[in-house]
Amino acid sequence: MKRLAAVVTLASLAAVTACSGGGTTNQSGSGGGGGLFTTIDVNRPGLEPSAPANPYAPKGNSFVGYNAMNIAWVNNHLTDPNQALPGIAASWEIAPDNSSITLKLQPNAKWSDGKSVTAEDVRFSIGVAYTQGSTAFSTTPGAAGAAAEVTVVDNTTVKITQDMANPSPKFARGVFDTIVLPAHVWSSVLPADFWDKLKASRGEGADAEKAREEILALGAKVLAFAPPKDVSAGPFVLERVNPGEALLVKNKNFFNAANVAPSQVKFLNYTGNEQIWNYLSSGKLDHSGFVAAPTDVMNRIKAAPGSEVIKGYSPVAVGLAFNQSKKPYDNVHVRRGLAYLINREEVTKVASPEGGTAATTTSGIHQKAAQAWIPETVGELEPYKTDVAKAEEEFKAAGLTKKDGKWTLADGKPWKMSMHAPSGFSDWLSAQENIKSQLIKAGVDAEVVTTTDYPLYLEELAAGKYDAGFWLMALGPAPYDIFQRLYGASNGWANVAGKVSHSPAGKSGNWMGGAEEIEVDGAKINPGELTGKLNSSTADEAKPIMAQLAKAANQDLPVIQLWDYVNNQFVNNSRFTGWPHDDEILRSGAKVLLSGVWIQTGMIKAKK
Amino acid sequence: MTPIAKRLAGHLARGFVMILVVATISFFIINNIPGDPMAARFEELIEQGASPEAAAQSVKVLYGFQPDGSMWQQYLDYMAGLFRLDLGQSVTRPGTPVLDVLLEKAKWTVLPVLIGTLVSFLVGIILGVYAAIKRTGKLGDALAISGSLLHGIPQYVLAMLLVVIFATLIPILPADGPVDILFEPGFNAGYIGSLAEHAVLPVVTYALSAYGGWILAMKSSVVTVLGDDFILAAELRGMKRSIVFRYIARNAILPLFTILALSLGLLMGGAVFIEKIFNYPGLGLLLIDSVNERDYATMGGAFLLITGAIIIANIVADLFYTVIDPRVRSGEESA
Repeated sequence: MKRLAAVVTLASLAAVTACSGGGTTNQSGSGGGGGLFTTIDVNRPGLEPSAPANPYAPKGNSFVGYNAMNIAWVNNHLTDPNQALPGIAASWEIAPDNSSITLKLQPNAKWSDGKSVTAEDVRFSIGVAYTQGSTAFSTTPGAAGAAAEVTVVDNTTVKITQDMANPSPKFARGVFDTIVLPAHVWSSVLPADFWDKLKASRGEGADAEKAREEILALGAKVLAFAPPKDVSAGPFVLERVNPGEALLVKNKNFFNAANVAPSQVKFLNYTGNEQIWNYLSSGKLDHSGFVAAPTDVMNRIKAAPGSEVIKGYSPVAVGLAFNQSKKPYDNVHVRRGLAYLINREEVTKVASPEGGTAATTTSGIHQKAAQAWIPETVGELEPYKTDVAKAEEEFKAAGLTKKDGKWTLADGKPWKMSMHAPSGFSDWLSAQENIKSQLIKAGVDAEVVTTTDYPLYLEELAAGKYDAGFWLMALGPAPYDIFQRLYGASNGWANVAGKVSHSPAGKSGNWMGGAEEIEVDGAKINPGELTGKLNSSTADEAKPIMAQLAKAANQDLPVIQLWDYVNNQFVNNSRFTGWPHDDEILRSGAKVLLSGVWIQTGMIKAKK
Repeated sequence: MTPIAKRLAGHLARGFVMILVVATISFFIINNIPGDPMAARFEELIEQGASPEAAAQSVKVLYGFQPDGSMWQQYLDYMAGLFRLDLGQSVTRPGTPVLDVLLEKAKWTVLPVLIGTLVSFLVGIILGVYAAIKRTGKLGDALAISGSLLHGIPQYVLAMLLVVIFATLIPILPADGPVDILFEPGFNAGYIGSLAEHAVLPVVTYALSAYGGWILAMKSSVVTVLGDDFILAAELRGMKRSIVFRYIARNAILPLFTILALSLGLLMGGAVFIEKIFNYPGLGLLLIDSVNERDYATMGGAFLLITGAIIIANIVADLFYTVIDPRVRSGEESA
């Protein structure tokens, strides 16, 4: 018994010592002074202590907006893809025909090691971007919106011209979205003759192909590059990382350092959404980007002291997409019948009550963007309000019959609609369960099948194994990006160097299997070709095309648009204030950690 | 060559062959897992606003340096790499050898699982002896019930209960990672204190969930030994209770050492729920992430490490048994 007592005493002592030791030291840790900002990168679960501060490495310890800076921070403006907030570029001029953009860098921009951020750094960074594939800096022959020349005008001015052979209205956006790297640290990743190689890659023939291969090979070198230490032009510099947290400290050389409130930033690791919910419920995070949460969890988060959810525009929607190679989904009346049966309000309320707004109809565009682009057309679209009688009419028109309260196929065989979603996508799965119960109630047998994970889901979807699955769509703000989700590769249209071609269903990734031509307003249109045109159209040219495509999507229903996403940002007012509520600021682009942008502009203040 | 050396040589040879077989099987299974990681990455980039051309090139760059050639050629390259301890490159961590990734993660797995295993073993066997000796009394009943109860509660339930109690309701212990980043890593009180503080809940969870198994196994083993003639003889000879106790414990503990050695081998597999719930990212989570990301090289390395550890633990258990059990030793000598 004495031995047992000794063991218990020792264990208790160890626990008490550990608790008191850790707690006491914690209070006097290096983060004192109330300047510690705690956040999370919702796009990247899992911190990797061994990963370098390399923004291109998939698990690199680079946090865009904090210790990685873009040329500018693009906005998700409803109609103009080239709207942005200043980043390393303080201002810019875009030629009226989009043929060039001239960047003026921040006059006081410096790296954390004290060296100035120069136009040469920007040019070098553009070179690195070529090795990775970027919208504006692409070696793919004939790529739309690709740059032609990068010229250093002076130490703080860079001019980039667009290759007008296949121009894109979002050329400037592609330029803005480039991470600026310190050339003096990264110089070894690009060979001295890089720009000659790039020039050679633009031609045709074996030499050009060889040059492209060499540039691609440099990409691997860039991904693996590990700078000896983080050299940042952003408001923070990486200090250290462990598997649970990453610590960044204020960069005193940052051009707007005087207005940066936090002295330190802590990024927390997470292994699943539940952990983020717990962090938010306990008021631990000062900011988190959008994370889907069920109603009860959302209520718990909102109840945390200081907690606030701010909402912005998110140019994404989700739809139930059909494989039109499979019966009965090849029949538009079946798709329309289903659209009349599914109550989108109910689905959204169940699946994404805070993160989505029920789609007003299927147009292929987010409802906010649709109002901005094609307000007249929106009113003409069929809203597909829940209407069982109309659904039955459509099903009958498709030749379906109802026996014993259940709809059967035209040949009398039973019909069971199978919907797939990847495991872990809780909002999609809840939505499909709700749709299933709605359909069963209306006599359409249905099932929800969970696929193990997203890579398998995409593989099987592309292989045409599913009847229907969820599909992200309306990815704005550029018109081409919006419609290529419905009338792009997944529906048979390939757009290579501005030339559009169509593959039949089941070939070259065409799993939607829609018709190549659709009749809209009495005229046959080719939606893929029209979508391709959007890639090089001006805003005025785009509007009538978008109207036609919205009508095509509305009447042909390759997908049933279910809800348009809302950009929820979770913030906490206990330690910091000044969170933006201006819709324009909240329409920021993806990949970027918004709080980093807000902090660096001086918007966020420490609470007194 | 001594019998023990012969035994060791035999085990090592068998272990080596087993590792090769496991490496072969896991290579072919891993490389045939369905799912398209490139499509997933492409979709991710498209969702982030990249043009299809840009997304396609990015995917090509990321996956471009993966092994190519026929499956057999890849297999031969993989096996040749194994002999050089080269497990390949992680696709999600370009430039980082898989071995480095495994070693980095292993330390965060070994710490809670090893301590938890040893603590539960020690407490379990001591209380198991008491539970067997006092099996007709209240103490014996209480110990046996505690063992059954804890053995029956799933590890993740126990972990969540401890989080709710000690990290939420009475927030006296952290449950958010292995150490507070604010402390400078090194041999200083703050860092070590933070490490210890963060390890308490994962270790206690692991120890509690394993304790039930140890106490029940030990109790059962002791009850068997108690019925042996040599114990009766010792008691009839009037030996001190402490000496009889030692006789009982030493004989009853033998089968548990084998289980302990195997448990230590299994510790490389991590404790996925503990790692996930306490945000203690070790080998268990690495394996899951690598499967989700279709990071074949990391997956293969993790499988190999787990298998290798179990094989080695088996060998160690067998040799250890030879050393501590005179019956096995004498059996060998007579053979």
